[in-house]
Amino acid sequence: MGTTRQDFEGLFSIYIWIGSGVAVLVFAAVAFALIRYRAREGRRPSRRSDSHLLEGLVAVLILAVVALLVTRTFTTEAAEDESRTTPVRIDVTAFRWGWRFTYPGEGVSVIGNSAANPTFAVPADRAVSFSLRTLDVIHSFWIPEERFKRDAIPGRVNRFDIDFEGSGSEEGLCAEFCGLEHSKMGFEVFVLSPASYQRWLAAHRGGAA
Amino acid sequence: MSAEPGTAPPLPAAPNLAAPAEGAIGWIASTDHKRTAAKIGVASLVFFIASGVLALAMRTELAQPGLQFISDQTYNEFFSMHGSGMIFLFLTPAALALGLYFVPLQIGAAEIALPRLALFGFWTYLCGGLTMYAGFFTDNGAGSDGWTAAAPLSNSAFTPGIGMDMWVIGAGLAVLGSLLIGVTILLTLFRLRAPGMTMLRLPVFSWSMVVTAFMVVGSFPVLVVTMGLLLYERHVGSVFSGSNGAIAFQHLFWFYGHPVVYVMFFPFVGAVAEVVATFSRRRFFGYKALVLSLLVFTALSMAVWAHHMFTTGGVQNQYFSLTSHLLAVPAGIEYLDLIATMIGGAILLRTPMLFALGFILQFLIGGLTGIVVASPPIDYHVHDTFFVVGHFHYTLFAGSLFGLLAGVHYWFPKATGAMLREGLGKLSFWLLVIGANVTFFPMFFLGFDGMQRRVPDYAPRLGDLNLLSSIGAGVIALGILVFLVNVVVSLRRRQPAGDDPWQGQTLEWATSSPPPRHNFQGPLPPIESHAPLFDRRLAEEPA
Amino acid sequence: MKSGAAFAAFWGVLLLILGIGLTIWSGGLGTGLLLAQGGFGALGLALLQAGRPPQPRARLLPRFSLPTVVLALGLAAAALGLTAGLWLILIGAEVALFALVWLAREIVAERRLLR
Repeated sequence: MGTTRQDFEGLFSIYIWIGSGVAVLVFAAVAFALIRYRAREGRRPSRRSDSHLLEGLVAVLILAVVALLVTRTFTTEAAEDESRTTPVRIDVTAFRWGWRFTYPGEGVSVIGNSAANPTFAVPADRAVSFSLRTLDVIHSFWIPEERFKRDAIPGRVNRFDIDFEGSGSEEGLCAEFCGLEHSKMGFEVFVLSPASYQRWLAAHRGGAA
Repeated sequence: MSAEPGTAPPLPAAPNLAAPAEGAIGWIASTDHKRTAAKIGVASLVFFIASGVLALAMRTELAQPGLQFISDQTYNEFFSMHGSGMIFLFLTPAALALGLYFVPLQIGAAEIALPRLALFGFWTYLCGGLTMYAGFFTDNGAGSDGWTAAAPLSNSAFTPGIGMDMWVIGAGLAVLGSLLIGVTILLTLFRLRAPGMTMLRLPVFSWSMVVTAFMVVGSFPVLVVTMGLLLYERHVGSVFSGSNGAIAFQHLFWFYGHPVVYVMFFPFVGAVAEVVATFSRRRFFGYKALVLSLLVFTALSMAVWAHHMFTTGGVQNQYFSLTSHLLAVPAGIEYLDLIATMIGGAILLRTPMLFALGFILQFLIGGLTGIVVASPPIDYHVHDTFFVVGHFHYTLFAGSLFGLLAGVHYWFPKATGAMLREGLGKLSFWLLVIGANVTFFPMFFLGFDGMQRRVPDYAPRLGDLNLLSSIGAGVIALGILVFLVNVVVSLRRRQPAGDDPWQGQTLEWATSSPPPRHNFQGPLPPIESHAPLFDRRLAEEPA
Repeated sequence: MKSGAAFAAFWGVLLLILGIGLTIWSGGLGTGLLLAQGGFGALGLALLQAGRPPQPRARLLPRFSLPTVVLALGLAAAALGLTAGLWLILIGAEVALFALVWLAREIVAERRLLR
């Protein structure tokens, strides 16, 4: 199992290829019909109005494609939904309109809101286990570059792992409409090397926001 | 007079039952299903224009990064009322109105079952719609929690004010009205088919209305109840709080919220099927397979709703992913039948057929992207982004609206007795095709690239695609304008249509344009299949 | 008409199966029930028709029905009263009641004319 993003891209490309193939096929069939079967002087339309064999064949074919897609989806989802406890744990709390990121056991907590978006760091070499809560309404924790989001639902804790890819700064957004400042409720993630990550933790210990 | 069920026996001093109800009282209180359907059509058109203006305002704001014209609060009301107006007040009622008008004609009935119930349904829907929009005039503004009113954001703590209450009540009334229309259509199909018209001789459009009505009576009551519960929550005590409350609300809402998008699809695919068959000069291909796939498709569509909830972590994703993927099978059969009707036909590219083709090709893009988001791991990225906005605008606008326009251009001559102008029709078609694709295709990239839904502002790097999309919206507006001009011009300087301008296949073309008060005068043609007029024409052809 | 009920029954059974499948797969009764009941509306209406004669009796239908309109407006006003205040609920309910009586008289008059 690769990073979260790699899991996504593998699955997504299958869907896009098959979807594009189907689209090309249907467009071609319609174009063929329009070119070949335009009304012309003396043209008599076919009297045939059924073909159970053709219908059955097409249904089975589509079912086979569906089976392929569903199987790939289920295996990818099983891999993604696994939540293991790894040494890196972050508790995320969403609220109107900002985020708090707490590293239990590390003594680090970062908070920010629409006036000043918060930033937190993760190491690039290990999966990170998140626990996601909300203090008020539904929000959604989305990191587009990791191709992943999860909702923060009142009264629930959602747990998930993200295996971060690459390095550098990544944008984070709230992706569930939560009221007036929904569009300003962003955050930033630094994906760091293990050494830089430890330095970041040290710098933020003792309650520095 | 043997084939006119439901008609009153002639009374000695009865008024002329064939004359339409005249004057204001006729427009307010006529029991004629055609009049009721026309009223729904006009009302839904007005709501379409109002909700479309909101969209233009949003696209103007979104054309550039930064907040230029509209405040956050106003934007929230705009997107909420745009979606609510389009779904509750335009496309659903319009779909049902098409059925309300043409089902009795297609099945050889003189009237619908329970005409007063349909009239009541119209007025309830209209009151609901006006109530929702009247929220703009209140202190806290109109409803502002989307068309989905997710809890707990929709409670009175987070969205206070009478405007949101009016949204809740209005939505309940509008959906109740639509429900009642659906009930009358279903009862009509059960009870008032002409002798000889068995269920398996129903025209394709009427079959699409059967399954639409199944979904309406199965899911719309749940929305009405849910709005009642939400109103209770806002004023009396909590219903949707507690650890499962938010999830419970979504289950109740989406149980209606998914089938309703199919209520906004099936009547139009039925209309498109009629258009394709007529303008290919053939019987519709694969009728029995189509009926089976309609039943399976609509049953499945009642079982997919939690695919809107994949990212909540609170539902059984796999089940709903499976049912959502399975939709591709009956959908594929319907596409096969549509294309197979064309192949081997003698195709005439009049305006109704153009819009039908637009529906077929553009809905496809919406449908395929729907399969893409049926996969939870993919949905984890694109849910609640402009990718989804692009997906459902392809199905609802580039798909269903084009299907509606196909039906409108096809049946306008029957309902009014006047032809629509071909030139203006073709112009509006091309403007709408260009507009729709320029507006909505970039949205797939915007969403994938990091633009979430329901925001008036976004990261500067997304500016170019947003500008492109906004330009497309302007082209759409132009296309709609040309269509409206077409309607006005065609009604003022009439080109008479006659009974059957298209060489139609179904019974509505066997009566005058517009039809008399009780739909048919004189005996109906023999009914031996779902295309009685086609059969009759074939029988009369020299061998 | 009879076969209309057959199709509604078929559809209802599909939903029942899908509902049972959901309950088994997810272990939750609530959502399964929600799904299974989806077919009840169609089936109910179909069964309502199953008992009736194949073609309805001749009936007299007025060209317009004002009480129907007034009833709808009254009920809508009462619904709006749920937020606007008791005064509107009462006004709406009174109008609706009046319209209901008016409607009943309209229907009774029709039946009497037919006899």
